Amino acid sequence: MMTMITVEDLKSAYGRKQILKGASFMAGQGDCVGIVGANGCGKSTLLSILAGTLRPKAGRVLYGGAPAWQGGAAGHMRADMGTIRRMTGYVPQDNPLIPELTVLDNLRLWYPDRDVLQWQLQQGVLKMLGVDGFSRMQASKLSGGMKKRVSIGIAMASNPPILLLDEPSAALDLICKEDIRKYLQAYLQHQGTVVITTHEESELDLCSRIYVMNDGRLRPIDRSLRGEALVREF
Amino acid sequence: MKYRMRYLYAELKKTVRIFPLMLFSAMILVLLTGGAAFGAARRMEREPLAVSVDIGVVVRGDDRITRLALVYVENMESAAKLCRFVQVSEEDGRHMLAEGKLAALVVLPEELVEGIMDGRNPSVDVLFPRDARLEAMLFRELAEAGEGLLRVAQAQIYGAGDTAVQYGLTDELSVMEAEIDSFNLAFALDRLVLYDEERVSATGRLSVAQHYAASGIVLFLLLSGMAAYSVMQPEPAAFRRQLMRAGVGGLWQNLCRWLCGFLYLLCLAGVLCVVWWGIRLCAPEAAMRLQEILMSAGRRGIGGRIGMLLLVLAAAASFHCMIYSASGSRTSGILLVFLLSIAAVYLSGGFVPPAFLPGAVRTVGEALPVSWMIRACGSLFAGYGAGTEGCTAWLCLYAVVFESAACGLERLRSRHSG
Repeated sequence: MMTMITVEDLKSAYGRKQILKGASFMAGQGDCVGIVGANGCGKSTLLSILAGTLRPKAGRVLYGGAPAWQGGAAGHMRADMGTIRRMTGYVPQDNPLIPELTVLDNLRLWYPDRDVLQWQLQQGVLKMLGVDGFSRMQASKLSGGMKKRVSIGIAMASNPPILLLDEPSAALDLICKEDIRKYLQAYLQHQGTVVITTHEESELDLCSRIYVMNDGRLRPIDRSLRGEALVREF
Repeated sequence: MKYRMRYLYAELKKTVRIFPLMLFSAMILVLLTGGAAFGAARRMEREPLAVSVDIGVVVRGDDRITRLALVYVENMESAAKLCRFVQVSEEDGRHMLAEGKLAALVVLPEELVEGIMDGRNPSVDVLFPRDARLEAMLFRELAEAGEGLLRVAQAQIYGAGDTAVQYGLTDELSVMEAEIDSFNLAFALDRLVLYDEERVSATGRLSVAQHYAASGIVLFLLLSGMAAYSVMQPEPAAFRRQLMRAGVGGLWQNLCRWLCGFLYLLCLAGVLCVVWWGIRLCAPEAAMRLQEILMSAGRRGIGGRIGMLLLVLAAAASFHCMIYSASGSRTSGILLVFLLSIAAVYLSGGFVPPAFLPGAVRTVGEALPVSWMIRACGSLFAGYGAGTEGCTAWLCLYAVVFESAACGLERLRSRHSG
């Protein structure tokens, strides 16, 4: 199985506060890596770094063997944004939508051309996510679940082999959670790699590996742990 | 590059889509500000502004004739129009002068009238405050001019008298004095001049109407930013990060929203032009009258005027971008735009002409971009003239500085939000 993500000794800080103190993990094709932990422990920071929107202080990130983040000559961390863009799709906690435009207009911003977008709406990712049903609606009028579906659709615009999801099911209804879960299952079956931060146990069922973020480091735990046993690991 | 152009297209589309809503909000704003301005104008019409100059008068001793003469002067229409004489003791007068309650203090000596009659000509002391206000300065100018005229008139009388005595023409002396008096009264001391109307504007080369029209346009453009928060406020963090991932940097994002803001203001200016043309079509006489009041021929042609307007719009759009970048939320942004616009227009003499503002306020106001915007807008009505030199350079500079500040603030915010 090909290694898709290699994260080595990743460090990050906001001012003087150390958030990541050496996070490391690996993920292969078809792997789903779940990251759990208390609020504010650094899960979103880790995903932001993996998505290329936040600069780490030290460490190394490789996607499919190609360096995405690595230390430069002067000690500064350098990103290969081309690799990051090509290899990852990123679904942040807040939905990256222009509320005044329609869903279709929002999608047009991220999809390479109209034909691809039409195809995705008719029989591709967007169809699977159910976006085709409300593509003419104004983004501000969408429900939270609809917005999240569009966000995932946006992340999948360049058909990336790695999907980074930051608490995708937060504040969504059960139907929407189930739809997103089904979509992720399908994505994994097609040898996609998923890194997901979550508080939802149903999403942990998808994960082949689960890490707990604690004191800025990732620690692997038994993937069958649930409820209080899982919380005790925090 | 493709993401940048697509983002620009999306932003423009957003601006076009919400323009009717923004226009509606801006029109309500116009109605509110216009209503307030109209009400203020009506009030000013009812209560015409009068500069009342309080002059303290000290009459030394119990001089009844001098007091009588003073009452006579007080009741003269020309004096009553300008001054209000307040009889005070010398000590109180000096105190009030120091406090700025009096524009001047006139100390009349004992037996003033008798002295004038018998040729002793006792001197009258006129004291002015050290930091004279406008009306005090005005009175001082008048007093000095009057003193100069009297000195010349006296020199004429004494000179003519001495000459007549030297050449043995004493019989003709009274005729000569009468002629000199009549010449002086006819030309140098012509009281009818006081009733002539000479227009002096506190708004400089602009007429009062032009000044307030220019200030009104600037205030409207600045306040219109309140309705344009959807266009001018920075993108939400999640969207901004997604754009960054796609290679659309902060500078481009800022430039796009500046451009959208600029186009919004341009459309508003276009709507105002359409309204103007509508008035011309529907009520040509009213339009003609308005044009006569507002427009004066200047050296700057239509191209120059449009150029000036574009620069004002560019600076206003940059101002809005900077304010929305500085504010953390939509509400605080709207409030900041409102407060800073009102404050800047006040300091720049948009509500009260700069000549009537305190010195410190005037100094601050002159350094503000809004004062240049008002001057530039004034040139739309009055054409090119004194006061608009450097407008182009200053407005360009302010547009660049504000936009750079907006970019800097955005960068800072991105770092803090992680």
